[in-house]
Amino acid sequence: MTHDAASVRALLGEILAALASASESDETRSLRQRLERFVALPDEALTSAVLLEASAAPLGAMRVFPKEARGLVGSKANAIKQAALAALAVEEQAALARALAAERSGAGFDATLPPPRQACGSLHPITQVTRELEDLFTSMGWTILDGPEVETEHFNFDALNISPDHPARDTMDTFWVRTAPGETRLVMRTHTSPVQVRAMRRLQPPFRAIVPGKVFRNEALDASHEHTFHQMEGLVVGKHVSVGHLIAAMKTLLRGIFGREIEIRLRPGYFPFVEPGFELDARCPFCTEGCSVCKRSTWIELLPCGMVHPNVLKAGGIDPEQWTGFAFGLGLSRLVMLRFGIDDVRHLLAGDMRFLEQF
Amino acid sequence: MKISYRWLARHVDLSGTSAVDIARELTLSTAEVEGVESFLPHLCDVTVGHVVQREKHPDADKLSLCRVDVGQGEPLQIVCGAPNVRAGLKVVVATAGTTLPGDFKIKKSKIRGVESNGMICSERELGLGVEHDGIWELPAGLAVGARLGAALGLEDWVIEIDNKSVTHRPDLWGHRGIAAELAAILRRPLKPLDLALPATGGGASVGVRIESDACSRYLALRVEGARATRSPLWLKSLLLAVGQRPIDLLVDLSNFVMLDLGQPNHLFDARKIGAQGIVVRKARAGEVLKTLDEVERKLEASDLLICNGDEPVALAGIMGGEGSKVAEDTSQLVLEVAAFHAPTVRRTSARLGLRTDASARFEKTLDPELVPRAAAHLVRLLQAEQPEVKLAAPATDVGQWTSAAKTIRLRGERVRMLLGADLDDAAITDILVRLGFGVAKDGEGLAVRVPSIRGTKDISIEQDLVEEVGRIYRYGNIPEIPLAGILVPPPRDERRRLVRRIEDRLAGSARFHQQISYSFVPDTTILKLGLQSTPHVEVQNPITEGASRVRRSVVVSLLPLLEPNRRRAAEVRLFEVGKGYEPVGGAEPTERHEVALVLARPARKANARFDDTSLALLQGVVEDLVRSLGLEACTWSRCEAVASWAHPGRATALRIGSQETLVGEVAAIEPGLARELGLAGEIESDIALARVSVDALLGATPRARRYSPLPQFPATRVDVALALPSERSAGEAKAALERSGKGLVSGLELFDVFTGERIGAGRRSLAWHVTLSAPDRTLNEADVKKFLERVEREAVQLGGELRRE
Repeated sequence: MTHDAASVRALLGEILAALASASESDETRSLRQRLERFVALPDEALTSAVLLEASAAPLGAMRVFPKEARGLVGSKANAIKQAALAALAVEEQAALARALAAERSGAGFDATLPPPRQACGSLHPITQVTRELEDLFTSMGWTILDGPEVETEHFNFDALNISPDHPARDTMDTFWVRTAPGETRLVMRTHTSPVQVRAMRRLQPPFRAIVPGKVFRNEALDASHEHTFHQMEGLVVGKHVSVGHLIAAMKTLLRGIFGREIEIRLRPGYFPFVEPGFELDARCPFCTEGCSVCKRSTWIELLPCGMVHPNVLKAGGIDPEQWTGFAFGLGLSRLVMLRFGIDDVRHLLAGDMRFLEQF
Repeated sequence: MKISYRWLARHVDLSGTSAVDIARELTLSTAEVEGVESFLPHLCDVTVGHVVQREKHPDADKLSLCRVDVGQGEPLQIVCGAPNVRAGLKVVVATAGTTLPGDFKIKKSKIRGVESNGMICSERELGLGVEHDGIWELPAGLAVGARLGAALGLEDWVIEIDNKSVTHRPDLWGHRGIAAELAAILRRPLKPLDLALPATGGGASVGVRIESDACSRYLALRVEGARATRSPLWLKSLLLAVGQRPIDLLVDLSNFVMLDLGQPNHLFDARKIGAQGIVVRKARAGEVLKTLDEVERKLEASDLLICNGDEPVALAGIMGGEGSKVAEDTSQLVLEVAAFHAPTVRRTSARLGLRTDASARFEKTLDPELVPRAAAHLVRLLQAEQPEVKLAAPATDVGQWTSAAKTIRLRGERVRMLLGADLDDAAITDILVRLGFGVAKDGEGLAVRVPSIRGTKDISIEQDLVEEVGRIYRYGNIPEIPLAGILVPPPRDERRRLVRRIEDRLAGSARFHQQISYSFVPDTTILKLGLQSTPHVEVQNPITEGASRVRRSVVVSLLPLLEPNRRRAAEVRLFEVGKGYEPVGGAEPTERHEVALVLARPARKANARFDDTSLALLQGVVEDLVRSLGLEACTWSRCEAVASWAHPGRATALRIGSQETLVGEVAAIEPGLARELGLAGEIESDIALARVSVDALLGATPRARRYSPLPQFPATRVDVALALPSERSAGEAKAALERSGKGLVSGLELFDVFTGERIGAGRRSLAWHVTLSAPDRTLNEADVKKFLERVEREAVQLGGELRRE
């Protein structure tokens, strides 16, 4: 209570004193009794409503006061009314505070009540990983290229230094397209490498390019073999491009994929379109002592790569004495499986929404 | 390919280097090692014992009761069933606790009431042979108590090399080749091997005539007095280590030479080679040869044969004939060592599905210079075992071969540049010499002499030598060098940018799931679509029957996904961005980049809103997509030439702005097709499909992207319902309203379509929210009245009326 109960009682006392000079009547007595009751009330009972009543009582019975006292009684009664209004404001403030406090308590609220489901779409995990790599490489000035899935024998094999009698043609388990004798021989491309020579013919060295895309091998299906999967080819042609550059680029690639420094090793690997050719192993990012992913070896065979074979540069119209280059072929499908812990490659292209929705 | 550590040690000193070390060295410099395993590890668990005493088993005639000293305390009592056990023998004892091959655990046991504390072993029980005619009688000199593996030097490790990593290295298909690599890596000398043919008698040589250039060299040699005896332990154990089953000395030595030098060879029974001698010729189509595996092989004109006169006796480089195999009673042999054309062997072997150790080597292009060396090796090894073996006549060694030895110029500068490693010419020379190359100074560079064994295939140009230097130097020693150069933004790939925006929109606000499908379409789908006579790109060798066609359009890939997904979920929303191919006779097929969409929902309810159809929703998705790509608005029309998957009566053609180009189709599914796809009964669905050409979107006109001032005056909204003959399209009604507005119509939204008695037969009512506004004033009642009057006139012209409620 902000108003001073004592001053209110003093005001009431002065009105009672003025009443003493009034002539005795039932009305006078009734008013006195009422005023005295107000005076007797304890402080906390002097609410705005009570004070309003206390101010209204003398004002409503002004005629019982002698004429000369009416001015004084009026001003005292008004002072009490002012005190009442002030008390009212305080009380309203307190009531609002109580109401807000009650609302804020959150009684009856259940935070675990499931919200209404907002359906959403999804990008295929292969798209997601491909984009990450595209963004990484374009940020370093690499071009992204595309090539046909139905490819000519020339670009898929001959231009890549894989002659008709080369055993690599057998090991690649090629899907051959039915063509009439004498027509251009076509294959479902067995790798993204044919775009190497296509790129050389289109771009002027120096250049750096990646080629993500679908490739095909006539292989029996199981949890780790698919006849259709995704690869990403990389190709750099420039002056004095060396194995040292290849190593640096591959380390950058792995930093981009795994978000941290990954130890790598190059060991000899044979691919007719590179010389020297390598298998690149990465230190297993999932363990330190060997796990199922790295077959307990702590190394993961990640990608074949090498220095572009002079015959391939020649097929692309580039002078191998002037220019050198390196190339790599990243298994995108495998990387997607590693990234998301997918245990069966066949999920990737099966089109089961329960699978697709997870990404 | 399995490589034996002990076998390698015949060619190079491996002291101080374990099999695991070798595996690592080979992996880093030569070829991929898939694993290292201990060979018959139990050979180190069994011990050499001495039979001190042998008595008859008291209760069994055929059993012996032996006391065997194994060098530890009292001799062990062991019951043995072998007929040849006797006192004084040195034998192999597996004591209790030992595990023998086949997970056979030796335990203390009682045999016919007598305790037996182990087992006296035969060679077969130890995994060392097939003979089972008693226990193994060891040489008397072995120390009692010694571990057998150590005592006989049988301890070995098997290094498994990934065949695919050595397809280009014919020289690595034998132990000596691998040993030569290790010699270079470890800087140890390769042990000398005398491969000169021993002296021969002056008898009549085997006649050989080569009639095909698929055989560049053929050596035939008469070998007399050889017998098919049992092979000695050293030979058996090495062959077993690399997974070869020992047969007899002749077969085993033939295999040994192949696995040692990498050169296959063959032994004929000399009695089967007649006076006409050996003829090497191509087969005649339809000719038949029964090979050693007793299978009748139908031959083709491309196959190469070894013949006795005209009669085929072997499939060259792959397998001998059953008819000429060495019989047990023969001691007269003809040894064949030859060089065959690799692709010929490879093709025949692939066609017949007959892959042998010999064909695997011949298809790698073997060095013709190996031919006499392998012959000498075999003869020398044979004579070491059977000194009575004679060479009665000189070898016949014929053919038109050329040595693969060559000289290649190598620039040190080129090595340093390509590897990015600071190697001086001396270091380069050192590595090449260790690898067996001859190196001489040649002006500024080096002249490198490549031996024939490395020159057949792998080494032909300077860059091949750079690899030789790099792999022995070790790629791990090359410092990384960041790519440097002038960075220019790569050329913009508009299609890739567009595809990304499409994917983002469809997977984002449109809430579709992205699918990536196989490019092959199953024939079952083709049949359901009735596309069997439409030309497709087709593969000759599909993964399974009926999966040879490559899709022309991406939409067909989504069709088979409808039923299984719809069975699991009420709503199926899938899209794919991909390529379709249309064959073009004699040239590369036409490639089409497409977006395919499918929306399937439970069958439509009778009281559903007029636009609550999958078709309308999918059109909405496509409109939103086109708008989000910043293109002009979609124009829809009835689709004339509908795709095989589209409902012929509910198909819309999509164009953009006023362009003529067809951009795509959105249609309800062909009703018969839906049933064929199994979308009936409880999963009967309202399905719409869309095909949008990415190529056409790329060519579409972009919408002008300009600011227009915000309206200054409030707009007025009126609802109008046009009751028109049913054949009048919504498009016509819309155009009529726009005309009536005389430029004041700023918004039109169809909110109801209905038919019924109140409208009249053959008519339908289209109800629109119309927004009218003017840029310079607030419209009044008179404007609206004039608008409605014009609408009324337009409605009448269209054969209908403006409905007033």
